Amino acid sequence: MKVVQVRCPNCSQPIYSKIKDIVFFCENCKVLHIRGGETKVIDYEIADFNKTITAEKKYMPFWRVWCNFTINESRVSGGTFRKMAQFMRGGGNSGSLFVFVPASEMDVATFKQLAMDLTMSPPRYSTRLDFGGLQRLPTKITNGEAENVSDFVFVTIQADKPGILQDLDYDLVCQEARMVYLPFVVTESGPRPAW
Amino acid sequence: MSISVGLNCPACGGAIQVADGEQVVNCEYCGSMLYLEGDGGVNTIAFKMKVDRGAARAVSEEWFRKDWKARDLRKEAKVLEIYPIYLPFWSIKMRVIGWICGYDERTYSDSKGHTRTERIPKEEMVLNDYQYSEIACDPGDLGIKRLRNFLGESEFEDFGNIPTYEATTSKDEAMKRIGEEALNDARGEAHVQHVTFERVHVLPRALSMIYYPIWVVRYGYREKMYIYTVDGVSGEIISGRAPGDPLFQSLAITAGTTIGGLIAAGSLYLMAASETMDPTITLIGLAAGAIITFGAYMFFRHGSEIIEGDFTDKKYGLGGLDEMGVVSDLLKGRIDLGGRI
Ligand SMILES: [Zn+2]
Repeated sequence: MKVVQVRCPNCSQPIYSKIKDIVFFCENCKVLHIRGGETKVIDYEIADFNKTITAEKKYMPFWRVWCNFTINESRVSGGTFRKMAQFMRGGGNSGSLFVFVPASEMDVATFKQLAMDLTMSPPRYSTRLDFGGLQRLPTKITNGEAENVSDFVFVTIQADKPGILQDLDYDLVCQEARMVYLPFVVTESGPRPAW
Repeated sequence: MSISVGLNCPACGGAIQVADGEQVVNCEYCGSMLYLEGDGGVNTIAFKMKVDRGAARAVSEEWFRKDWKARDLRKEAKVLEIYPIYLPFWSIKMRVIGWICGYDERTYSDSKGHTRTERIPKEEMVLNDYQYSEIACDPGDLGIKRLRNFLGESEFEDFGNIPTYEATTSKDEAMKRIGEEALNDARGEAHVQHVTFERVHVLPRALSMIYYPIWVVRYGYREKMYIYTVDGVSGEIISGRAPGDPLFQSLAITAGTTIGGLIAAGSLYLMAASETMDPTITLIGLAAGAIITFGAYMFFRHGSEIIEGDFTDKKYGLGGLDEMGVVSDLLKGRIDLGGRI
């Protein structure tokens, strides 16, 4: 058991932070990395924030996971709405989508809401190269976990109203997760998009 | 849940605070991000022994008096042996996330005896963090299987001169067992009677090996040997065996049998008095009476000993309840038979 100082795998500069984050952002060369069994550099995007919003904004981390799916059978009690229709290819039963997995700590209701909203209507934004002095919330979910959680989000979309999900036979294949930082204004009724 | 550890920041030399199972640490002095690298991703910590020999012995004073232990235990018990040990535990945080869907069935019967079964479809989201621990060695029967306390002052693998048990169970097996336990707990919370769809992920969030200090005390009472163990951090009794009191036992058996009998008799009387009453109420009454009688019997059948903790031969508590379950099913069978006559 030993303790090591975290250094950027790209430029070897030590990384300083006051918050406990499982991903490390190098202010020097802008490389983001994660440590688990191995040290791994992560692809990421930072969405530019809307400068006309004057309220305090914070960057929240999301794992964005590209997933291919096939729905073989779905049985819902009291509802037949085809929830994935917009992602299906040519009237078939398979398609692809970006699943957004909130990666910071939050209550279950907010987690579900954000994952569903962003996955069902993917955000459009222009990107920037740094956080522009905004606070960045720490990541608590690893890229490996993000794949399992994508599967959960996928089923959550099926289970969401209307009707009560009774059976779902599907295949879901996920690709490597990429980190997306989205700016939000934190309000009493939950985070509000600020891009 | 911060634990102070005997490690220092490699950048500035400041002392580090770590939470159980966490790998990322911020140095509160120089702001450096630090990372804990354990063997195979497992953090190992040892809690400091905070309880001395005298305190480990003295804690029995109170414990001997509690429950239905022999009344002269405090006077007659002779401590034969008292020694400290470190026991290894796997400590694992699990996140369980997924969906369990299906239906419950409810059966209604009207006054004419027609029954109707209704299906209530259910979709239950499961999203929970659980903390589990499991002993990682076989120290003999000390009545200790899991940790009750995850807080303490810690050194990394510094045991002083206290004998330490080596971890003998594998990390993967512990994870697997605990994963299954977490899944079962989640299923229990979702509470879907008939499952038609289940998609649940069990994600290990943090894994550490905690070496925990414990005092083992062996004592004698009237030619027999007993044991108790003391938490080396909190100073509380973790597990123990003690002689029971013969007078309390006979009183309790009498009381239990009497109450059980009264309930059974009362429900029979009610049935006789009212012809319109649902006979199932009487059956429930009879069963409840039988269970109380039987419970009192089970509790004191082996009555010579009072046992606390996770001993394998525990005579009552969960073991006793299991046996009670089987017998109450048998009783139901008998009552049904009686109903037909
Ligand atoms: Zn760098």
